[in-house]
Amino acid sequence: MSTINKSVPKVEAKDKISGKMKYVSDYHVEGLHYAKTVRSTIAKGVIQSIELPPLPEGVTIVDYQDIPGKNVVKMIYEDWPVFAEKNISHYGEPIMLVVGPSKEMVQAVFDKIKITYQEETPIFDMVQSKVDYHFTKGDPQTAFQEAKKTIKYTYETGYQEQAYIEPQGFIGTLEDEKVTLIGSIQAPYYVKNAVIDTLSCKPEDVRIIQATVGGAFGGKEEFPSLIGCQLAVALKKVKKPIKLIYEREEDMEVTTKRHPSKITMEAAIDEENNITAIKSHVGIDGGAFLGLSSVVLSRAMIAATSAYTINHLQVDGDVYITNTVPNGAFRGFGAPQMIFAVEMFINHLAKDLNEDVHDFRLRHLAKQGDKTTTSGTFRDPILMPEMIKKACQISGYHKKKALYESSEKMKGIGMSWFLHGCGFTGSGEADHIKAKVKLRKDEADHVYLEIAAVDMGQGAKTTLMKVAAEVLELPLEAIHFANPDTDIVPDSGPTVASRTAMVVGGLVARAAQEINENWQSGKPQIVHKSYKQPDYMEWDQATFNGDAYPAYSWGVNVVEVSVDPASLEVRVEHIWSVYDVGKSLDDNIVIGQADGGTAQGVAYGYLEVMNHRNGKLLQKNMTDYVIPTAVDMAKTETVLFDNPFAYGPYGAKGAGELTLVGGAPAVAIAIEMAINKRVSKIPATPEYLMELMNND
Amino acid sequence: MVRHRIPVTLEEALEHLNETTYKIIAGGTDLMVQNRAWSELPPKFDAPLLFCFNLEALKYVKEENAFIKIGSMTDLETLLHHPLTPEILRKVIYEMASPAIRKVSTLSGNIGNASPAADSLLALYALDAKVEIKSQKETRLSTVSELILGPRKTALKQNEIITEIIIPKSSFTQTCFVKVGGRRADAISKVAFVGCASVENNVIKDIRMTINAVAARLIRRQDIEKGLCEKTPDEVKQNVNAILEAYSTSIQPIDDQRSNKDYRKYTANNLIKAFLNTL
Repeated sequence: MSTINKSVPKVEAKDKISGKMKYVSDYHVEGLHYAKTVRSTIAKGVIQSIELPPLPEGVTIVDYQDIPGKNVVKMIYEDWPVFAEKNISHYGEPIMLVVGPSKEMVQAVFDKIKITYQEETPIFDMVQSKVDYHFTKGDPQTAFQEAKKTIKYTYETGYQEQAYIEPQGFIGTLEDEKVTLIGSIQAPYYVKNAVIDTLSCKPEDVRIIQATVGGAFGGKEEFPSLIGCQLAVALKKVKKPIKLIYEREEDMEVTTKRHPSKITMEAAIDEENNITAIKSHVGIDGGAFLGLSSVVLSRAMIAATSAYTINHLQVDGDVYITNTVPNGAFRGFGAPQMIFAVEMFINHLAKDLNEDVHDFRLRHLAKQGDKTTTSGTFRDPILMPEMIKKACQISGYHKKKALYESSEKMKGIGMSWFLHGCGFTGSGEADHIKAKVKLRKDEADHVYLEIAAVDMGQGAKTTLMKVAAEVLELPLEAIHFANPDTDIVPDSGPTVASRTAMVVGGLVARAAQEINENWQSGKPQIVHKSYKQPDYMEWDQATFNGDAYPAYSWGVNVVEVSVDPASLEVRVEHIWSVYDVGKSLDDNIVIGQADGGTAQGVAYGYLEVMNHRNGKLLQKNMTDYVIPTAVDMAKTETVLFDNPFAYGPYGAKGAGELTLVGGAPAVAIAIEMAINKRVSKIPATPEYLMELMNND
Repeated sequence: MVRHRIPVTLEEALEHLNETTYKIIAGGTDLMVQNRAWSELPPKFDAPLLFCFNLEALKYVKEENAFIKIGSMTDLETLLHHPLTPEILRKVIYEMASPAIRKVSTLSGNIGNASPAADSLLALYALDAKVEIKSQKETRLSTVSELILGPRKTALKQNEIITEIIIPKSSFTQTCFVKVGGRRADAISKVAFVGCASVENNVIKDIRMTINAVAARLIRRQDIEKGLCEKTPDEVKQNVNAILEAYSTSIQPIDDQRSNKDYRKYTANNLIKAFLNTL
């Protein structure tokens, strides 16, 4: 067994800690101009008039009329405009940029722009479906007809804000016809492809460079394409270098969030009190434009039974369009909503059926060889029984559960079991991403990873460099991995979907292997590798049938809480986690992902509140949008199980999202125990707990 | 042309205040945030600023007869660690903001900002704190509770500055501070409570309760407190519902981005009840 998991200092840690690291806002270019976005102040309506003040010399207005190509940000659906033309679909929708040589001048013009609207009645409820998906497994209809009884519940989840440390932004320059954008991004080629469409230009006229990213969590997957397109249009018109970086409040008010959801689940129960079939409806609020929402919906639907096997399923889902800020990618990508619903549902079913929850869940736990929700196969070993035992042992789960259930002390312990599909859904990797990597060796026998993977703090640089070093039997110092620049690196895909270690890392390992086999000391060598889907994978996107993912990572979270009797504030006392990520490529980095993921996942379940009033988000700064501080964060204990995956480098699977998706149900189940009420909504805030306590 | 001033003596500061209207900045942890602008641009103040953080003469904590006197430019972190700081005030400061904010923020700033959710005011109201206010011609005293008129509104005149916080020495057999915020540190209160009491020979001799963030101004009902004195703790505990009923006319919270009125009222009641139950 490889010892690659042995931790090394993160390669960029010194520069980050010392303050030497440059982020996009630290770049300075001679003659820099500044851009500020003029935004709608209504949720829905039509622009009637725009009144501009006289523009001082050097100040330029950039709007939809300046777009050489299509006024749409290239994503999956073409419904998201670069700039609003006449119609306004959400509060804060970008209408134009004011660009000028100083912030004072830009601000002065900005303050004098007057826009009048014909307001229309906005829609905030989940009633306008724009995408609906549907799939079945087995024969749910018969199972429901033959059921002894059926039980149905609805679960709701709220917004979540990524709250990355560094807000979104780019600095752009123009040289002849060529646009160069340096930005805080997760997907350099997404931005490049979007800009090409908007400018209607040649691919070689757009260059995207990733600046060191101060956190992303999915928030910098698709949204930067919008800013990138706007800035590219401005560069073409103004012909000066321009900085477009959001302020924290602007970022929080207008960038994509985690989709609020409403999930209804109905189970058919047989004579033995087992679940024979489940019908689910997954509704997610897409906001004003679809963006990636349909993909988020499909990931949620595919997680319809999470870590359990149910033989008969009917899964329906809708993306609803509302007049709110578009929702989008966020670590977990639909799975946190679904896994919350599944875990609560299993718990509530066991209670309704007077079954021991633990035993009831074990009876339904997925095993190797079982059919997945989409009738694919769990091919690899599933270590969950051992992992669950371990989690129970280190947390004292059974003893504490018995104690807290019989005590009035408002303490609780909750456990969640879950999986996360690694990489893009279905044939996404093979059909859409088609990842390519390039490894280059120079005369000094140093090896350069030329890939589009982004290190946003999660450790992609260190882990991928370790993979190359290990294969090549070179010291880490002989491996280099610069921030991606689309003029240099091939498209190895976006840094999303827990795919980087497994998919890109796998390609890096194969390329390194090839260099190793043909090693010529002192001579430059270049190797290219492209993604090949494992032969066993079959997927039909139209029917959601087959293997949705090449591999699954698995996890168990246990969360212990106490609830204050006077204020109903929840204190998270301890968090225990057990994960199977295939093979850890660096234990400290995986533990870092685990601690951060659980913090974000648990906080999603009880702490982080975001609401809108008339389409305007109320919590728009880090004072009002509450994320956990070090004082709120409980002690964590994490155990990793080795379960190497044949196609991952050294057996690695995904780790980034897995650690988030189980946090919310674990804390919600613990809270249920503490207050002896059923939780069906997150975040389970004190305000919500009060409603539950008052509903006696 | 806006001219900001950074005086080093109180006399200088008072002279400036006599000339024109200034916004007085002590630590700036409220005002700088309230007036923030696009990064790299100066904050958007509509009046010139009088930065008072260099008034070294106003940085002290001393004991004088029956009073603790705190210079108005003394930062909260100093107060947190000072031996003369009253216990209940120390408990409150300990949970306020973050260490970095406490290092520059002041009690006088908290008073001047007059936020209904200010935590230090809970202790100052409960301790019957007064402030010394100076202008070039006059020195006057006011209780903290009389100085604060409403959210962000004080009775401070344009030419005046708070120079000292005067806290009568008091001793209690028990004190309690409960802060209910969105999280356990660095949070603005949804509701917070201070309770101080002296119980001697099973008789309540002194009791004070203050609640923030449930009305336009902090709540302290001395009429109710008086009614509880000379009673036994058990008499009070049996009478909790009537006491809450008496407070209910004052507890008039609102919905906002941090919480809602039902929860604020529910929790305020529970905190009063919990404190009375500890007597």
